[in-house]
Amino acid sequence: MDVKNEVLYRVYFLLFGLVIPVAVLLVYRSITIGIVEGEEWRNRALLENVIKERTIEAERGNILAEDGSLLATSVPIFDLYFDPYAPSDEDFLANVDSLAVSMARYVDNSYTVGGYRKYLMELRDTAINRSRHVLIKRKVSYNEKRFIQQFPLFNLGQFRGGFIPEKRSERVRPFGLLARRTIGWVLDGATPIGLESSFDEELGGEPGKVMMINVDRRRDLWKPMDDLTAVEPQIGDDVVTTLNINIQDIAEEALLRGMQKHDAQWGTAIVMEVKTGAIRAIANIGRNNGSWLEDYNYGIGKSTEPGSTFKLASMMAMLEDGFVKLTDSVDIENGQTQFYDVTMDDSSPISYRLDSISAYDAFIMSSNVGMAKLVNKHYGEKTSANNKLGAEAFINRMKQFNLHLPTGIEIEGEGKPLIKEAYSTEDYWSGITLPWMAIGYETRLTPLQMLSFYNAVANNGRLMKPYLVQEIRRFGEPVEHFRPTVAKKKIAEPETISTVRKLLEGVIEEDRGTGHDLRTDRYRFAGKTGTAQVDYERGSRGTRVGGHQASFAGYFPAEDPQYSCIVVINKPRQGGIYGGDVAGPVFREIADQCFYSLMELHRPMNAGPKPVYTTATLPSGDIGRATDFHRILDQLDIQFYGDPATELGVLSAKSDSLMLYRRTILDDQVPNVVGLGLRDALYVLENRKLKVEFNGVGKVVKQSILPGTALRGQTIWLALE
Amino acid sequence: MSNIAARIYAELKGDKAIWSVMVLLGIFSILAVYSATGSLAYQQDGNTEFYLFKHSGLLAVGFLLAYLGHLIHYMKYNRWAPVLLALSIPLLMITIFYGAEINDARRWIKIPYTSLTFQTSDLAKLALILYVARSLTSKQDYIKDFNSAFLPIIMPVLIICCLIAPSDLSTAIMLFLTCVFMMFVGRVSLQYIGLLLFLGVVSFALLYALGGFYPDLIRSTTWVNRFREFMDGPDQIYQVIQAKMAIANGEWFGMGPGNSIQRNFLPMSSSDFIYAIIVEEYGIIGGAFLIFLYVFLFFRVTRMVTKSPKAFGAMVAMGLSILLVTQAFLNIAVAVNLVPVTGLTLPMISQGGTSIIFTCIAFGIILSVSKYIDASTG
Repeated sequence: MDVKNEVLYRVYFLLFGLVIPVAVLLVYRSITIGIVEGEEWRNRALLENVIKERTIEAERGNILAEDGSLLATSVPIFDLYFDPYAPSDEDFLANVDSLAVSMARYVDNSYTVGGYRKYLMELRDTAINRSRHVLIKRKVSYNEKRFIQQFPLFNLGQFRGGFIPEKRSERVRPFGLLARRTIGWVLDGATPIGLESSFDEELGGEPGKVMMINVDRRRDLWKPMDDLTAVEPQIGDDVVTTLNINIQDIAEEALLRGMQKHDAQWGTAIVMEVKTGAIRAIANIGRNNGSWLEDYNYGIGKSTEPGSTFKLASMMAMLEDGFVKLTDSVDIENGQTQFYDVTMDDSSPISYRLDSISAYDAFIMSSNVGMAKLVNKHYGEKTSANNKLGAEAFINRMKQFNLHLPTGIEIEGEGKPLIKEAYSTEDYWSGITLPWMAIGYETRLTPLQMLSFYNAVANNGRLMKPYLVQEIRRFGEPVEHFRPTVAKKKIAEPETISTVRKLLEGVIEEDRGTGHDLRTDRYRFAGKTGTAQVDYERGSRGTRVGGHQASFAGYFPAEDPQYSCIVVINKPRQGGIYGGDVAGPVFREIADQCFYSLMELHRPMNAGPKPVYTTATLPSGDIGRATDFHRILDQLDIQFYGDPATELGVLSAKSDSLMLYRRTILDDQVPNVVGLGLRDALYVLENRKLKVEFNGVGKVVKQSILPGTALRGQTIWLALE
Repeated sequence: MSNIAARIYAELKGDKAIWSVMVLLGIFSILAVYSATGSLAYQQDGNTEFYLFKHSGLLAVGFLLAYLGHLIHYMKYNRWAPVLLALSIPLLMITIFYGAEINDARRWIKIPYTSLTFQTSDLAKLALILYVARSLTSKQDYIKDFNSAFLPIIMPVLIICCLIAPSDLSTAIMLFLTCVFMMFVGRVSLQYIGLLLFLGVVSFALLYALGGFYPDLIRSTTWVNRFREFMDGPDQIYQVIQAKMAIANGEWFGMGPGNSIQRNFLPMSSSDFIYAIIVEEYGIIGGAFLIFLYVFLFFRVTRMVTKSPKAFGAMVAMGLSILLVTQAFLNIAVAVNLVPVTGLTLPMISQGGTSIIFTCIAFGIILSVSKYIDASTG
C-alpha cells in the first residue's frame, strides 16, 4: 500500500466510519428526545417550569374639573420589602451598620440604630426568620422610594441588595371629599358608583399582558418573557367634568352649614348652567351617626314628593290651557278646605286671615288650598273646556314638561320620576290625587329632575339635558366632546314662560312672597320655596306629619339667567321647617358666591361715580403685602399715603384716605402674624421654616407661639376668624 | 449591495465553501446567543442588547483574524509551531497555580492591565495541533519507527494534555483524541496508537491519584461526581432535564427565533447547552443542519487531504477540523445526553471570548491551506 493510498484510506475511514455515524447518532438522539419522548418532556416542562400570565394594570385616567383641576388621579405608591438572604455575607456585613443608621434615622423611628442593626442581623438568622419577603414600609411615595433605594446595601439593587419595591397605584382625590359621591369610586368589595363607575371603560384603559417566568424558584423571582406575545398596557383616558371647583366648594360649604344649623337628615344642592345644562356643582350630605358626609347621591338618586316647588308645573299647565289669568281670584277659605273626606291646610298662618286672593298671590304665597282648588276646578271634571279629558289633560301637560321622564344623567342610579296616569287604578289614582298633585304630592321627582324643569323655565322654555362630563381626553387631546343636548326645544309657549318667570320673581320681590326674606339689593333672582310633608298620614281632621322637606329651586340673575340651582334639605329638626327659612339661605349663599365670582355678571368696581369714603367704610388695621395693597388701592382709586420699605404693611384709615405703615418682621424670631390673611401668614411663617397648622377661615386671630420666640423649626398653630 | 458582496467575494481567497460554513455558523451564533442570554442579561441591569453587541463585536474580530490568517502562507505556521508550544507550557502551569477561577474552574488567566481573561488551553490546543502536524509530515518517511518518530510526537501530547487535565479534563480528553486521530491519518502504526491510548489511560489514573493529594489543583472529585451522576441516571440532572425539555419544545420545526422558553431555566444556555436552545427555536431540522455544517467542513478538508496527502498544510487542516468537529460533537452529545456534562463549548456558536477567537484563527489557517492547495493543484 503506497503512502498516498494509506492516508486516503485512513481519512475516509474517519469520515465514513466515525464522523458521519456520530453525526447521524446525534441527530437520531435529538429525534428520540424531541419527537419520540417529546410529549413526555413537554408535559413535564409545563408542570415544572412555571410560566404565568400576568396582566399589567393600565394606569387609570384622571377625572378633571371644568378648568382642568384634578378631581381624581392615580399615583404610584410602593410597598417596600427586603430579602435578607439576597446579599452575600460580604455585602451584608460591609453595609449592615450604615443601613441600620439610615433605617433608624429616616424610616423607622421606633428603633435605635443599634436596635435596627440587631433586627437586621436577626433577619438573616435562619433560626429566627426564614422569610425572603420582609416588609420594610408600606405606602411609600415614588420620591421616598427613590430616597430609600439609595441606602447602603439597597443601592446594590434587587438581586445583590435584596431591596424589593412593589408598585401599585392608588386613587387619590386632590380636593379631598369634594363631590365624593359624584366622582365616585371603583374599588374591590364596594359597589362602584359615580363617574368612576359610569366612565370606567374610558378611565380604565386597556390592561397589558405578559408571560412571566419563574426564574428562581427559591426566591419566587419572576421575570417577564420578552417574546412577541407581550401586550403593552394602554393608559386610560381622562374624563373632564363640567364641575367647577369653586362653585362645588361653595355649594358643599353652604349646604353643610345649613344642614348643621337645622340638624337635618340629608340635603343636596345642585347648580346647573342655564344655557347648557352643564352641572357646575352637586353637593350631597347625609347625617350618619352624628357626622356629616356625602353618603349618598341624593340629588340624583333620591326621588321624593317635591311639595310646593311643583306648583310651578301646575300653574304652567293652567296657563298653557288658558284656564287662569294671574288676576283670577280663588277662595282659599281661610287656609283650609276639604277634598272628599280629607282636609287640606295652608302651611302659612297668613292664609288664616284671608279668604279670596288672586291666582298670582296663591302662587307667591304658596297657598295649597288656592292652587289645589284652581287645578281641581279646571281638571277635576271632564268638561268641554278640557275636551272631556279631565285630569288626563293635566297629566298631558306634565308630560309636555317632560316631568315623567328621567333626565338621563351619565351616572348610574338616577331615581325614577312618578307622574301618575290619570284615573289609573294601577297607579292608585283616587279622588284626592289631582288636588294633592297640584301642590306637589302623589308625585315623585328627584332634585335634579326638578332643577332641570326650573332650568328650562330660566332658559325660555328650552329643556336641556343635564350632564356632568364635557370631554374625554387621551394624552391631553380631546377624543370625544359632549355638546349640550336639548332634551326638548319648547316645553311651553313663550307667553306662559314669561308669565311664570314673573311669578317666580314675585316670590322674592313681593312682601307677601314666601322667599321675600331672601331678597338682596345686589342682584335679582327668582325661585320657588317648597315645604313638603314627609312620613305623613292624611285624614279628615288634618294630617299627622312625621317631618318636613324644605326646598328652594330657582335661578339667577332674574333678568338674564346664568345659573339655576336647587337646594333640598330633608327633615330639619331645629330652626324652622320652611323652604324659605331652611333651603332658601343655602341657595342665597351659593347664588351670592357664584355671582361674585362671575366677572361677566357684574360691573367693574371702579366704574361709575366715585363713592365718598369715610373712616367707617375704609378698612383699618389690616395687614398684608405692601405691594398688594398698592395694587388694590390704585385699582379702586382710593387715596393712600406712605410707601413702606418693608415687605408687609399695615393700613390705617384717616378720614377719607388711608395711611400705609411699615410692619417689620425679624428673621430670627417667630413673627407676630395676628391680623394677616392665611396666604400672607403662611408665606411669612414657612419662610422661617416653621410648620403651620391652622383652623378656621378669615384672618389670624391667635397664634400658638409667642412672637419673639427663637426659631427652631417648631410647629405653630393658628386660629383664623 | 451586490457590488460590495462581489468585492468581498473577490477579496476572499481559499475554499468558498468553508467560508460559507463559517459565515453560516456565525449567523447561527448571533441568533442563538442573543436568544439564550435573554435571561442572563435581564438579571444584570436588564440590558438584553449588551450581550448581543459584545458577541457580535467578538465575531467581527474573529472574522478579521480569520481573514488575516488566511492571507498568511500556512508554512509560516509550521515555523511558529515549536515556539507556540514552548510558550503554552509555562502559561498552562501559571494557569494551574495562579489562574482566575470562573464558574468553579481555574482555566483562565487575567491579561495584565486589562479586565480580559484568556483561556490558555485554547492557545495550547492550537500550538499542539500545529506541532503534531509538523512532526507527522516531517517524519513521514520513518513514521512507523518508535524512537525517532513516535516518541518525539507523543511526548508533547502527553505533557500538554496532562497540564490541561487538572482543571479541564474534557478539553484534555478531546485534545488527546484529536491527536490520536491525527496520528491515525498520519500513518502511525495501529499498535502504537493502541499503546498511546493505553498511555493516556495510565496518565489519567496517575492524575486521578494525585488529585487525592492536591484537591485544589486537580478536580478529580468533580470528575467522579459528573460520571456518577451520569451513571446514576441522567434524568436526575437538572441541566440535562431542562435541555431535553428544550429539544422537546422544538420538535421538528422549532418555536421560532427568540421564542425559547427554556433559556430561562437552562443554566449555561449560551455556552454548554446552546444546541438545545437552537433546537428549541429552530427545530430538529435546524439542529440537523448545524450538525451537517460541521460534517461538511470535515468533508471539504478531506478533499484537501486527497489532493496533497503528504503536505504539512493538509495535515494541519485535518487536525484543526478534527478538533472542531470533535469538540462540536462532544458538546452536542452532552446536550442530547449521550455523555456526561463536560463544559465544552460549541465551536463558533457558543458565547465565550477566547473560544471564538481561536476557532476563527483555526478557520483562518484551514482557509490558508485551502488557498494554496487549490492553487497548486488547480
